[in-house]
Amino acid sequence: MGRAELGLDRPRLTVADLLREAWLSLAGHPARSLLTALGTVLGAAAFVATLGLSSTLAHQVADSFDVRRATEVTARGARADAPSWQEPSALARLGRLNGVRVCGARVILPERPVSRSLGEGATPLQTQVSGVDAGALAVISPRVVLGRAFDSYHDTDAQPVVMLPAAVARGLGVHRVGVAVFIEDRPYTVIGIFDDVARRPEALVSVLVPYAVAQPMAALSSGEVKRDVVIETEPGAAQLVGAQAALALAPEDPARVEVVVPPDPRTLRQEIEGSVARLALVLSLVALGIGTVSIGNAATAGIVARTAEIGLRRAVGARPRHIFSQLIAETTLLGTLGGFLGAVGGIVITVVVALANGWQPVVDVTTALSATAAGAGAGLLAGLLPAWRATRIQPVVAIAR
Amino acid sequence: MSAALLTLTGIAKSYHDGAPVHALLPTDLRVDEGDYVSVTGPSGAGKSTLLNVLGLLDLPTEGSYEVAGVETVRAAESLRVAIRGQWFGFVFQSFALLAGRTAVENVELGMLYRAIPARRRRALAMAALDRVRLAHRAHADPRTLSGGERQRVAIARAIAASPRVLFCDEPTGNLDSGNTDNILDLIGDLHADGQTVVVVTHDSKVARRGVRHVHVADGIVREAPAAQRHQRGR
Ligand SMILES: Nc1ncnc2c1ncn2[C@@H]1O[C@H](COP(=O)(O)OP(=O)(O)O)[C@@H](O)[C@H]1O
Ligand SMILES: [Mg+2]
Repeated sequence: MGRAELGLDRPRLTVADLLREAWLSLAGHPARSLLTALGTVLGAAAFVATLGLSSTLAHQVADSFDVRRATEVTARGARADAPSWQEPSALARLGRLNGVRVCGARVILPERPVSRSLGEGATPLQTQVSGVDAGALAVISPRVVLGRAFDSYHDTDAQPVVMLPAAVARGLGVHRVGVAVFIEDRPYTVIGIFDDVARRPEALVSVLVPYAVAQPMAALSSGEVKRDVVIETEPGAAQLVGAQAALALAPEDPARVEVVVPPDPRTLRQEIEGSVARLALVLSLVALGIGTVSIGNAATAGIVARTAEIGLRRAVGARPRHIFSQLIAETTLLGTLGGFLGAVGGIVITVVVALANGWQPVVDVTTALSATAAGAGAGLLAGLLPAWRATRIQPVVAIAR
Repeated sequence: MSAALLTLTGIAKSYHDGAPVHALLPTDLRVDEGDYVSVTGPSGAGKSTLLNVLGLLDLPTEGSYEVAGVETVRAAESLRVAIRGQWFGFVFQSFALLAGRTAVENVELGMLYRAIPARRRRALAMAALDRVRLAHRAHADPRTLSGGERQRVAIARAIAASPRVLFCDEPTGNLDSGNTDNILDLIGDLHADGQTVVVVTHDSKVARRGVRHVHVADGIVREAPAAQRHQRGR
């Protein structure tokens, strides 16, 4: 009413002017601004670096996960009883399952003396002996460096042949194939020497004989005989095969068979990411709190230092709401810049640490954006109280100072 | 006779923190368009209190104050804010310039809370700096300016949007005598161009430049007789 009578405009502050004022205030006092934003910078950096490094690590774990081991499933007897689940019909049922590439039976005999010759001067090696059928041999896939592997003839005809791991062959002084070695007191012809296996690394210290050859030895054995069925699956099918193997091998009583599957790389990765994400969340909430308090403190202290400036603004026609908006804009801008700077810092930390360790850095843009947004939120929250206090400052203080 | 611009009727101001202080006893005062009023008196007399009430920087505890016939004491705060920002310009002893902003940005600040587009604010600010003969320092940081130059920037800020009244509280309080003359000449020129001016000072040399002389002592405001006023004619 009085305003119209005097031809006065409504006091106002455009958004563009508001932002410009906030920016000038921050840029005009770089040291003050930097100190105020420090808590937010550190908080955002901690948040982004923690999440970035955890994703990088999880990626690394999944990446370096042994792809061969991930296709390896083993079934063994839960009780010591007649191994009907190792019979050809059981193996045939298992082999028909989706995802099974090849499978076979194995019988592992306790350690016994293996030597180059009998009688005086012989130095037997105490060595484990495993009987493997053609399927199990295919699963193990020994890398033959001399001679050859068994074929189905050796197995079905129970031929007295052995394959020696390179270490055992060296120990026995065997340097070529075709010679005989003695297991206990019976001769076997060495037909192959292998130095590595694709699966079942324990086979590297075990003398391999055909399954049919090991069966009578097992019947006479005094120590504990272990039996299992080893399976190579299609990539990614290990969990599925593992769930169905017991039923396929022993349909009348699946509880007789115990199945071991490799840990699922995806589950492993999720577990790592989940636990680190929880840690990061707690860390960043703490950091956010510290950031809010530090901006709030600095802004409150700043109000005292800026009393004259605020009084001047009121003297030249600012309404309390203009003072309030400007201070909120300043702390929010500061929080946003702090959050952004921290996010950039966090990314740099992630990349540097990853590269220093020869890992593939995994950086998530969403994380960086949410750190910036959280900084903005912290700034806004921190500004409320000091901004409200600033609106109490009377214009007369512009003269008093 | 010119129209009454500012009219104080029975205005008084007292402070009540601890023992009550009657900074200003009931006062009647009228400021007309084109006046040059100097307010003198010893320190603590109530000069600043009077100027704060006149400039709507502070509310009186009693009385009525009309600006161009519109009552302000019982009006909404938003009206006082609008009058203060758009009709009045202020020059303070301490200059009250913002560090970290150039001279012209400081001048623009005086027009920030008004419906004046940014480009026009820049043009008006440059014109005002030209008026105080500081156009060549427009982009200087005030911290690099001398005291006299800083006060000229402050005057530019106060007059950039052509206020109806220019209020100065001890405008030369922080200046040497050379700079004081400089600032007083500037204010005299503004008055000669029709600017209404109210200057508060404890310095009689400054007060002598005024056309009307108001004396404050112990909160009592008295205008010097007209005869004394004419002495200035010389
Ligand atoms: N905010 C205040 N609270 C209490 N007393 C005040 C306040 N402001 C001024 N006064 C008192 O009012 C009187 C007049 O002060 P002021 O107008 O500043 O004097 P001047 O400007 O003439 O030196 C003084 O006694 C001073 O102490
Ligand atoms: Mg004073």
